[in-house]
Amino acid sequence: MREERLFGLVWLALCAGMAWIAWGIEVPFSYEPVGPRAFPLILAGLMAVCALALVLRPAAIGFGWPHGTVRAHLLIAIAALFAYAFLFEPLGFPLSTALLTVALGRVFGGSWKACVIGGLAMGGLMYLFFDRLLDVVLPLGSLFAAAGV
Amino acid sequence: METLHFLGQGFGVAFEPTNLLMAFAGALIGTIVGLLPGLGPINGVAILMPLAFAMKLPPETALILLAAVYMGCEYGGRISSILLNVPGDAGAIMTAIDGYPMARKGLAGVALSISAWSSFVGSALATLGLVLFAPLLAEWALAFGPAEYFALMVLAVASLGGMVGERPMKTLLAILIGLSLATVGVDANSGTYRFTFDSVHLSDGIQFIVVVIGFFSVSEILLMIEQTHSGQQLVAATGRKLFNLKEMIETGWATVLSSVAGFFIGVLPGAGATIASALTYMSTKRMYDREGTFGKGDIRGVAAPEAANNASATGSFVPMLCLGVPGSGTTAVMMGALTLYNITPGPMLFQNQPDIVWGLIASLFVANVVLLVLNIPLVGVFARMLTVPMAMLVPGIAAVSAVGVYSVHATGFDLVLAVVLGVAGYILRKLHFPMSALILGFVLGEMLEQNLRRALSLSDGDVRILWHSPISVGLWAVAIAMLVVPPLVRRLRRGRAGALAAGG
Repeated sequence: MREERLFGLVWLALCAGMAWIAWGIEVPFSYEPVGPRAFPLILAGLMAVCALALVLRPAAIGFGWPHGTVRAHLLIAIAALFAYAFLFEPLGFPLSTALLTVALGRVFGGSWKACVIGGLAMGGLMYLFFDRLLDVVLPLGSLFAAAGV
Repeated sequence: METLHFLGQGFGVAFEPTNLLMAFAGALIGTIVGLLPGLGPINGVAILMPLAFAMKLPPETALILLAAVYMGCEYGGRISSILLNVPGDAGAIMTAIDGYPMARKGLAGVALSISAWSSFVGSALATLGLVLFAPLLAEWALAFGPAEYFALMVLAVASLGGMVGERPMKTLLAILIGLSLATVGVDANSGTYRFTFDSVHLSDGIQFIVVVIGFFSVSEILLMIEQTHSGQQLVAATGRKLFNLKEMIETGWATVLSSVAGFFIGVLPGAGATIASALTYMSTKRMYDREGTFGKGDIRGVAAPEAANNASATGSFVPMLCLGVPGSGTTAVMMGALTLYNITPGPMLFQNQPDIVWGLIASLFVANVVLLVLNIPLVGVFARMLTVPMAMLVPGIAAVSAVGVYSVHATGFDLVLAVVLGVAGYILRKLHFPMSALILGFVLGEMLEQNLRRALSLSDGDVRILWHSPISVGLWAVAIAMLVVPPLVRRLRRGRAGALAAGG
């Protein structure tokens, strides 16, 4: 209930921001009655109505943010996914995937040994499968590229 | 007659070796994705769609692959429902009610085979329905102008708002968020940039694949962290592997009725497999439950919802193919796949690209046969997939998703954006916002705005054009009814239940 209200408030603020930006969309010349500004403004208005309804009449949903270990796991997983996204190109697919597998695998209860072996296997095999077999181009990373693989 | 000719042509497309191979691969992958708890058809299609595109499959082949995955998921969901009492996807929730008790009684093999059979009947009947109704509907829809299309899309949005989720307000907001995400990027009519924050990566808009992978794959991974179903024991399938003739006759009528009902529920925009299987389970129970065997392992309670969820999955192709308005979250994703190929689904598709439409319809028949053949003898192999440790499965899902996102534009920016959207999706899902509504909004966004602006250009800014023709008036009326009636019925029913409780 409290979370819904909070979400509604945050969303109201976002709607205001969206409306403000949309209002500033300028068209040099226009040949149609409805320009690019109207639709986003309508959307922001409708969303504001919905958000206001959530603030005024929040439902009692069974809701809880995770606690303890689960929360720690969640934060580790989010951090790992962001790191994966940022390191995907610099480290290359095989290495970054291996690292991600170790991090996520540990979160989901795998042993160190299984995660490291599984990660290296997954990074290597998937690279061969997608890049070499299916022609889906993936970054190899400067480390491997320099070695001339 | 003409339909038969086109269907024949469609089978020609479906029987091409690549397409047959893809139907087979899709059926196999779909069954596995469907049986894994947490992953449903929308995740399966979302993860495979970018790969199909990256592998440069021709559009009809890609569509066949995705359709086979969709059908396979509806087959696969039942396996974990029956053996584990954990539904593999939302459409299989009802199957667990009688399927798991059957398995506990030592009838797992019978439950699995009869549900494969009723899935087959459901899909086959619904595909026939697709063949019969789709061309008629497409012909009718040819008369639609921008005003009618705008009304039709409002109808799709309204019926979703009335039916999905426990609060219409949240469904509506989810759709609006989807519509808003679609406004990012360059505006096609005026060339102005909207909400791009001067970023080159956003000037093209947010990639469809990034949205889909973020909301359905990344957020799913985060949600999985909380769900652990340890303690549930896999029931070993012992005894008879196949149902007998008596059981087939016993379930026959319920299966056929549920298939027909499932098809029509699937055709309605918004109402998908979950609603279809729940409704048909309830009505089958009302019809047959004389000795109170339902919920304790009644075979009809397994057959009916499985027939319905497969039929509704097939039925949801009707609005996507004929009107260009998706009938379910999964077909919304498939529609996005078509737009990647610069193909706009809708009535013109039947005339301009019959190969795609009829090839897809014929492939539904082919994939269905493949699925039946795969699912009866190989069910033990599939069941073993349930023992793959999460520690390997989850990183695998993440890596395949990343390959898909990266393959479109080859920028790391898209990957980061997918994770950002994934975290946002996790929060929205924790707050019970339906993601299928959001993705529908995102898919419809550009079309909705373009049709509105085109209609108003035609009338020189006069809004009355929006309810000018009888068709659009009718569509508006149904849209309003869709929003008003379901909550009213709910309130009435609650009122009556309250009166009964007070009286008794």
